[in-house]
Amino acid sequence: MTLSNSTEEVAVNPKLERAAQRRQSWRGFLTAVPAYAYLIFFFVLPLFIVFVFSFASRSRTGRPELENWNVDGWTGLTDPVVRTIVGRSLWIATLNTVFCLVIGYAFAYWIATRPKQSTRTILLILVLIPFWSNFLVRTYAWRMLLDSDGYITQLGEMTGLWGRMLFTEPAVFLGLLYGYLPFMVLPLYAAIERIDWSLVEAGRDLYASGTKAFLKITLPLSKPGIIAGSILVFIPSLGAYVTPDILGGAKTTLLGNYIVTQFGAARNWPFGSALSGAILIVMLGATIIYFRTGARTI
Amino acid sequence: MSENAAAVGLHGVTKRFGEDVVAVDDVDLEIRDGEFFSLLGPSGCGKTTTLRMIAGLEYPTDGSIRIFGEEMGLRPPNKRPVNTVFQSYALFPHMNVEQNVGFGLRMQGVDKSTERERVNEAIDLVRLSGLNARRPLALSGGQQQRVALARALVNRPKVLLLDEPLGALDLKLRETMQLELKDIQKNVGITFIYVTHDQEEALTMSDRIGVMNEGKLVQVGSSEDIYESPANMFVASFVGDMSFLPAHVVESGSVRLAGGEIVQSKTDASPGTPVTLSLRPEKLHLFADVSEVPPDRNILKGSVARRTFYGESLFYEVDIGASGSFDVRVENLPVMRRWEVGDEVVVDFHPESATALAE
Repeated sequence: MTLSNSTEEVAVNPKLERAAQRRQSWRGFLTAVPAYAYLIFFFVLPLFIVFVFSFASRSRTGRPELENWNVDGWTGLTDPVVRTIVGRSLWIATLNTVFCLVIGYAFAYWIATRPKQSTRTILLILVLIPFWSNFLVRTYAWRMLLDSDGYITQLGEMTGLWGRMLFTEPAVFLGLLYGYLPFMVLPLYAAIERIDWSLVEAGRDLYASGTKAFLKITLPLSKPGIIAGSILVFIPSLGAYVTPDILGGAKTTLLGNYIVTQFGAARNWPFGSALSGAILIVMLGATIIYFRTGARTI
Repeated sequence: MSENAAAVGLHGVTKRFGEDVVAVDDVDLEIRDGEFFSLLGPSGCGKTTTLRMIAGLEYPTDGSIRIFGEEMGLRPPNKRPVNTVFQSYALFPHMNVEQNVGFGLRMQGVDKSTERERVNEAIDLVRLSGLNARRPLALSGGQQQRVALARALVNRPKVLLLDEPLGALDLKLRETMQLELKDIQKNVGITFIYVTHDQEEALTMSDRIGVMNEGKLVQVGSSEDIYESPANMFVASFVGDMSFLPAHVVESGSVRLAGGEIVQSKTDASPGTPVTLSLRPEKLHLFADVSEVPPDRNILKGSVARRTFYGESLFYEVDIGASGSFDVRVENLPVMRRWEVGDEVVVDFHPESATALAE
């Protein structure tokens, strides 16, 4: 008996297999084309334009001119005003992330440990409800609450603990906390819900108290959620514009408002562009490092 | 703590989940010090819940659990002198083998050098040396199982609880691990409470077995007791192969089958009671003619209805007409005669090998 019959047609061979793989990957690429095109035209290209403008020069009236290329925009970043604003923004963004993390973790943990799936779903929908109305509208609602005759101000005056907070740093902070808390709760919930509770039981069985078991097992295992939530809260808080503008008035300038001013009243496009570009680069670098270190310890 | 207290004593232990689910129903049980004790039963019989109550991962609705005479009450798991090997191993994925094994010692505040020493000792005991720095996910199922065992044993618990620890392993590995577990238990001298639904596993490993069904402890005894003298129909059918024939007690030590045959058997039921005659397939023998049968044996005549080949043995289903049918196991030896379907046969068995169980 011969091993194979050469005249017989062979259904599969290495060449055909490679061709099939090529077709497969081409099909995969085609499905991604709309998204690629969208991102290139409306994200990469504008960013590139911003980058180009950061080297532009200004006319006497402040109009950006694409000639006499220079790095004045970038050297302007060393201005002490920039340092103050960056410091303030970092402080508020960090504070907001920490508060969101503490409050959000407790809440996410509580949802994730409800025994009935239906209870969990209802609680999650409650977290999402604010997204059903416009962010701007919700921020204006906070303005009402924090204004002279607002409920929060009245409560503060009644108890004597606080006064009118509108147009102060605490007002901005409250607004940011309110706005970004759901972004912390959702990834944390996803992470905590995935935890195999028999691991916690094993910890308890191995002489860990409830607190120790939480610190040594639950918390490290919810790290992916902590990382994702922190990034989702920190980055937009750092560049927040609407909240500081509406609740902070003109008094508390944060990075977002400062950049907007450069493109508006200050008529300094190159500096605004350089500032935007610098934040983007720093955040990108920080995020990559954060993910790398986080991913290794999970 | 009294000197001769049982390792674990359960008294009237009941566990209810909600209003109508009774997972464990009034269980009384004493497990001796140094014993390899198995809780055997089908899934949902309450064996795992019983184990979890001893560990403190569940609290009984009623009753008392004592460990070496000490009442456990509502004591949390971290304050009980027991450790558990979980069914899914429950190894901490964010720690390596060494950190997993050392977890219990760290939680107890054992100093670093002692911890290292005992961790290495435990890792050696389960033959995992050299894998100290591996993460659990980088280990095979059998290796993960050993880590789980080392992680529990390193704490030198008074009682080790094992919840179907070999359930996830393939057959060959399971058999190896059974022997190894038994050896480890002998070496360390710790009381093992072993939960399993695999009757063969329970029979081969245990000093004593507690058979559970529907939350109740139905029989406690050595492997031989359970196999040779099952307390009721449930134990008889759950442990090993068994054929059943309906019968009535005629007088002490003899029953009448549905087809009228009188058979000598073990029974405590009073005359007239309906019973079920239970026969182990390996205790029956096939002959061609009555003259070949040794004296003082029960004899039933029938015909071969089915033949099944199992490799090391063959099972013949013998039909004895109105009385029913039963299986006979015949070793696959060259000297053994092969029967064909339809062959007329004579079945014999010793009266001691037949048990008549009342409902």
